[in-house]
Amino acid sequence: MTIALDKPVAASASLRERFEKNRRTAISTLSVIVFLLAWQFLPMLGAVDIRLTSTPLRVLKTAMELVPTADFANDLRISGVEFLAGMALAIAVGIPLGLILGTSRTARLFIDPPLMAIYATPRLALLPIIIVWLGIGLASKIAVVFLGAVFYVLINTMAGVTDTDQRLVRAAKSFGATRLDIFIRIILPSALPAVMIGIRLGIGRGVLGVIVGEMFSSEAGLGNKIMTYGEAVRIDHLLVYTLFVSLCGYLMTTGARLIEERLRSWRPQA
Amino acid sequence: MAQIVIEDLAIEYKKPNSDARFMAVEGISYSIEKGAFVTIVGASGCGKSSLLMALAGLIPLARGSVTIDGKTVIGPGSDRAVVFQDASLLPWRSVLGNVSFGLEMQRYGGGDLKERAMHYIDKVGLTRFADYHPHQLSGGMRQRVNIARALAVDPEVLLMDEPFGALDAQTREVMGDDLLDIWERDKKTALFVTHSIDEAIFLADEVLVMGKDPGHVKDIVKIDLPRPRTNDMYDSEQFNEYRKILRNHLAKDMADMRMQTVAEA
Amino acid sequence: MKGLLSLVPARWRPLVFGTTSFLAIFVFWEIAVMSGWANVFFFSQPSKIAVAAAAQIANGELPWNLWVSVMEFLAGFGLAAIVGISAAIIAGWFRDVEYVLDPFVWFTYSAPLAAFYPLFVAWLGLGLPTVIAMTFLFAVTPIYANTLAGLRNADPDLLRAARSFGATQSDLFLKVALPASVPLLVAGLRLGVGRALTGVIVAELFGATAGVGYSISYYGQQLQTTNMFVSLLVIVLMGVILTQLLAALEAQTEGWRVDPNG
Ligand SMILES: Nc1ncnc2c1ncn2[C@@H]1O[C@H](COP(=O)(O)OP(=O)(O)OP(=O)(O)O)[C@@H](O)[C@H]1O
Ligand SMILES: [Mg+2]
Repeated sequence: MTIALDKPVAASASLRERFEKNRRTAISTLSVIVFLLAWQFLPMLGAVDIRLTSTPLRVLKTAMELVPTADFANDLRISGVEFLAGMALAIAVGIPLGLILGTSRTARLFIDPPLMAIYATPRLALLPIIIVWLGIGLASKIAVVFLGAVFYVLINTMAGVTDTDQRLVRAAKSFGATRLDIFIRIILPSALPAVMIGIRLGIGRGVLGVIVGEMFSSEAGLGNKIMTYGEAVRIDHLLVYTLFVSLCGYLMTTGARLIEERLRSWRPQA
Repeated sequence: MAQIVIEDLAIEYKKPNSDARFMAVEGISYSIEKGAFVTIVGASGCGKSSLLMALAGLIPLARGSVTIDGKTVIGPGSDRAVVFQDASLLPWRSVLGNVSFGLEMQRYGGGDLKERAMHYIDKVGLTRFADYHPHQLSGGMRQRVNIARALAVDPEVLLMDEPFGALDAQTREVMGDDLLDIWERDKKTALFVTHSIDEAIFLADEVLVMGKDPGHVKDIVKIDLPRPRTNDMYDSEQFNEYRKILRNHLAKDMADMRMQTVAEA
Repeated sequence: MKGLLSLVPARWRPLVFGTTSFLAIFVFWEIAVMSGWANVFFFSQPSKIAVAAAAQIANGELPWNLWVSVMEFLAGFGLAAIVGISAAIIAGWFRDVEYVLDPFVWFTYSAPLAAFYPLFVAWLGLGLPTVIAMTFLFAVTPIYANTLAGLRNADPDLLRAARSFGATQSDLFLKVALPASVPLLVAGLRLGVGRALTGVIVAELFGATAGVGYSISYYGQQLQTTNMFVSLLVIVLMGVILTQLLAALEAQTEGWRVDPNG
C-alpha cells in the first residue's frame, strides 16, 4: 500500500521540480527581454539621453561591423597574449609554490603573514609602479595579470594541500608509503580540485587585470579601446568591447568550472 | 614464544598549542600468540588507538619496545596491515583501485596485482562493486573494502581500530560473522578495538581491558567459547559471565567519566 | 630550522615569525638599495619612504587622501551592503525576484566591471560620484549572492522543527532563515570589503582629484617612486585592517552557524 502511494508522490515532486526549473528559465529570460526593451525604447520616449545609453540594436549593429575588422582581431590578439602569458606564469609559479608552502609548516609561518597582507590588498594598486618598472607595453600587462591571478592559484593550492585528509596519509603510511608516494598519490589528487578553483578565480582576476592595465595606460588592446571610446562617449563602441570581454571571461570561467566538476566527480555533490 | 611482544610500552603526545607533553599510555606489557584474535576494550580516550598505531609503527614510542616475530618494530612493515575506522579509502579511486593501493605502496612485484586485488574483493563479497567509488557504497561496504585492502597485502598481523564503529547493530553482526569466517580460513593474528562488549567477546580468544589516565592494562579476560562461534552463543550462560566481567570493568570507568563531566560543568 | 622553531613558545610563533618576516623584507630592501644592488629610483628605500610619509603627514596630504578614500569606500560599501542585503531578503522571500535578478548577477560575476568605468564617467562625471558608483558595483554582487545563499541554506531540520511548533511561513523566514543566514552574510560582507577596496582604488587610479589611489597614479606620472610607496603601504594597511575587522566579526558570528555536526 505504501509503495503504491509512494510512486505518484515522487512523480509529482519531480514534475514540480521540472515546472519550477522551467519557470525559472522563463522568468529570467523575460527579465532580460524587458531590460532590453526598456533600454531600446526609453531613449526613444525621451526618458533618457540616447547619447549616454545607446540602444541594444545599435550595439548589435556596431558589433556586426566591428568584430570582423582586422583592428578588432589585432586588439584581441594583444589582450589575449597578455592574458595567456600572465596566466601561464601565474600557474607555473603559483602551483609549485603553493605545494611547497602547503607541505612545509615552517615555511608557512614565515610566508603566511606577508602573503595575507598582499592578499588583503587590491593588487591593482601596484599598476602605476609596475608601469614605472616595466613601461606601458606588453610586459607590464603580463605582470598585472600575473599578480592578479597568482595569489588565488597559490593560496588555493596551499589550502588544498593543508586540507588533505590526514587519515588518508596515515592509511598510506601504514602500507609503507614513502614521502614521495604520499605526495604523488595522496596530496596531489586531493589538492587538485582546490587548485582548479584557484585557477578559475585567477582567470576572473586576470581578465580584470588585462582590462584595467590596458585602460590605465597602453597603446593597444581591448582595454585600450574601452578607454578610448569611453572618453569619446561612443557608448555603442564601448559596450561592444565591454560585452565581448565579459563573454570571454564568462566562457573561460565556465570552462574552468567544467574541468573542476570533472575533477571532483568522485566526490558526492554537496 | 609469542608472536607479538609488547614490553613496558609508553606513548607520549604533545598538548595542542604548547610544547608540554603528556603520557597517553604507560607501562603496557603484553604478549600475543600467533593466530590469536585479541579484542581491546576500554573507555574512550584510554589509548586503544594509540596502542594500535604503535603496533602499526605509525607513532613513535616514548619508552619500551614492540617486537613482532623477534623483530623490533621501528615503522610500518609489510608484516602488518591496519583497518581504520572510517574515511581512510581514497575517494578518487574505485574499490579495485583502493584494494590495489596497499599492494602498490608495498611495491608488489607480481604481475597479478589486479587478480590478487579482485580475489580479496571477492572474499569480502564486493565483486559486483569493483568499479564503484567509495561515495557510492554503503558504510558496511566501505568497511569491507577497508578489510580487503588490508588482507590483500597478506600481512602476518591484522590491526583493526573500531572497523565497525560507524555501522548499525545488524550490519555489525553480519560483518563480525564474515570477519571470523575470513579469519578462520587463514588464522592471521588479529587485534581488534571495539566499544561493543558483545562484539569483543564474540570475536576474541582474549579480551584486553584497558584503563585510563594514563592508559594501562586493567585486565586480560580469556574467552573459552568453542570455535567456530555461532550466534546462539550470545545467549549462553558463559557469554553472560564474560559480559558481566567486562561490564563491571567499564562501568567503573563510566562512573568516573560522569563525575569528571559534572566537575567540568 | 627545527632548533630555531623550538626556541619560541608555540602560541607566540605566528606573531614572532610574522613580524620577523616583515622586518626581514624591509631590512633586505634597505640593504639591497643601499648597496646599489637595486636601483633606488625604481625601488626607493624603506628609510626614504618613512621620511616621505612623515612629510606627507605633516603637510596634511596623506591624512586628506586617506580621508577621501575612506569616505568613498564607506559610501560605496555601505550602499552596496544596504542594497545587496535588502535585495537578497526580498529575493529570499519572493523566489521570482531571484529569477528576475539572476541574469544580472551572473553577468556582474563574469564581467570585468572596471570596463564600465567610462560609462559611469559619461553618466556621473569625473570624481566622487563615479568612484562611489564603481565601489558599489564591485561590492554589491558578492554581498547579495552570499546573503541569499545563507537564506536558502537554512537547515532543513531546523525548518521542520519550527514547522512542527506551528510556525507560519513568515515566522520561518524571520525567526529561522534570517538568523541562520547571518554567518554567510558576514562572509559576503568580507568578500565585499575586498572588492570595494579594489573598486575605490581602480576608480581613483583612472581619474580623481584626491584619494590614495589618485596619489599613486599622480606620483607615478611624476616618477616619484618614494611617494608612490607611501600610498601603497597605506593601501596595504587599509586592506589588512579591514580584512582583520571582518574576520573578527566573522569569528563572532561563527557560533550562530546552525550545524549539528559542529
Ligand atoms: N595526535 C594526538 N595528539 C595529541 N593527543 C592525542 C593524539 N591522539 C590521541 N591523543 C590523546 O591520547 C589519549 C588517547 O587517545 P586514543 O585515541 O588512543 O584513545 P582511544 O582509546 O582510541 O579513544 P576512543 O575510544 O575514543 O577512540 C587521549 O587523551 C587523546 O586525547
Ligand atoms: Mg580510538
